[in-house]
Amino acid sequence: MKVLIVEDEILLAMELESEVEAAGHEIVGMAADSREAIALVEAAEPEFAFVDIHLLDGPTGIAVGQSLALREIPYVFVSGNVKRIPNDFAGALGAIEKPYTMNGLQNALAFIESYVNGHQPVLSPPPSLLLSPALGTFSGDAVAEPSADRP
Amino acid sequence: MIEKMTPRQGARDAGDRLVADQASENPFAAAFKATRMPMLITDPHQADNPIIFCNRAFSDLTGYSREELVGRNCRLLQGEGTDMAAIARLRDAISEGRDISIDILNYRKDGAPFWNALFVSPVRDAEGTIRYFFASQLDFTNIKSKEAELARARHIAEEEVAERTADLTEALRAKTALVHEVDHRVKNNLLTIASILKLQARMTTDETVGRTLMSVLNRVEALSTVQRKLLNDEDVGHFDVADFAKTLIVDIVSALRRTDIVLTTDVHEVVVPATKASPLALIINELVGDAVRRGLSQSGGEIHLEVRRLNGHFLIRVADTVQPVTVDPEEEAFGFKMLEACCRQLRATMERRVTGDRTEVVVTLMVKD
Repeated sequence: MKVLIVEDEILLAMELESEVEAAGHEIVGMAADSREAIALVEAAEPEFAFVDIHLLDGPTGIAVGQSLALREIPYVFVSGNVKRIPNDFAGALGAIEKPYTMNGLQNALAFIESYVNGHQPVLSPPPSLLLSPALGTFSGDAVAEPSADRP
Repeated sequence: MIEKMTPRQGARDAGDRLVADQASENPFAAAFKATRMPMLITDPHQADNPIIFCNRAFSDLTGYSREELVGRNCRLLQGEGTDMAAIARLRDAISEGRDISIDILNYRKDGAPFWNALFVSPVRDAEGTIRYFFASQLDFTNIKSKEAELARARHIAEEEVAERTADLTEALRAKTALVHEVDHRVKNNLLTIASILKLQARMTTDETVGRTLMSVLNRVEALSTVQRKLLNDEDVGHFDVADFAKTLIVDIVSALRRTDIVLTTDVHEVVVPATKASPLALIINELVGDAVRRGLSQSGGEIHLEVRRLNGHFLIRVADTVQPVTVDPEEEAFGFKMLEACCRQLRATMERRVTGDRTEVVVTLMVKD
């Protein structure tokens, strides 16, 4: 996937970039404020985006998300305060809550990839990815979906 | 020679006639004059229904002498604060010849207001014709001012309550904002620490350094998951161990990307104070991490997590069946040291049983209900 990262903490953005690249994706742009981000949404033609809600110019991530939704580009919010996300998720696929873990991020990315590729998702959403209510529930065989049975 | 009679003279004469009609020993007349209740009589057959007689108490109440009052209509007691609607009701009752009892604001000769509980009643002769009107007054200014005082006190109290409520609402808002701000900073710092560790791990060429950094990262991330799961809204400073444990184990096991791992859970909500969250989280992290190290990450296997309350105790059980592989002794010793420290912190007991390929660890601790 061609991925856009919208995050105002450069160190976090860099680490997210290497995680995403390690999973085999291409970073087509990084932005720290909403103006840059919206310009990149137009210019870089991403297929997917990670969007922090609080950017250098304030809580403008929602507006960035709306401009992505307008172009039907799937994205997730990445935020320390998921309660700030509007009820309709502003068209986002879901949210990854900070501070995410390496495993949590990789699991979320695997799910996102299967979703963006347009196939019926073969994975269940991992606990690290809070899905938008608009997406309904997914059924699929997880790699390690726990069952309630005893061993 | 006939003197021309003035209206006031007429009223005085009517009063005199009324008194003359009464035998001097009439006890009712004597009582009328002497009572402490202000009373008066008016004559509706004269122009403007003037007072023709009033007692001493009425003069004392109003500050007017009897000479000043006789011949005057009672409206001389009215003033700017008198309720016009009350006056209209009084007038209607008199013109219809009815009794009326009404509270009215009147004024003394010196201009001082007083609240007058006025009673007016027609006096009829044997034929039923109205001859006079009788009126009695009662000054209830004290009662009225007490009412006003009470109302004022209540108003002040209400204002104070409103002010205190506003203060408390603001204090609560500030506290909530502060909790959110601190929570946000802690979350950001944890992710920054994790990013620093990952950055250095990625840049090092030394395998041991890389492994060590990832080992530290693993513990930091367990604490990150704790911070994410802390209940900071309705139930500030609490933590659901079961929710945390399930998230952690699914995150770890899913990321192994092995189809030969069977993960089962039996978890029930156990909420503990936030102070216990970190050591508990690290215990669960070490137990799962240990299973991963011993072979889960290489040849798969089964892993089971149980979190529940049991007879006033709180129980964490992690059982696994793996093909054991050689474990780095230093890493294993470090993991056990972490477990030991956290168990001591919580005054928890740990029991570890190994039977062939199967390892079971049970951690129990007391929790308050």
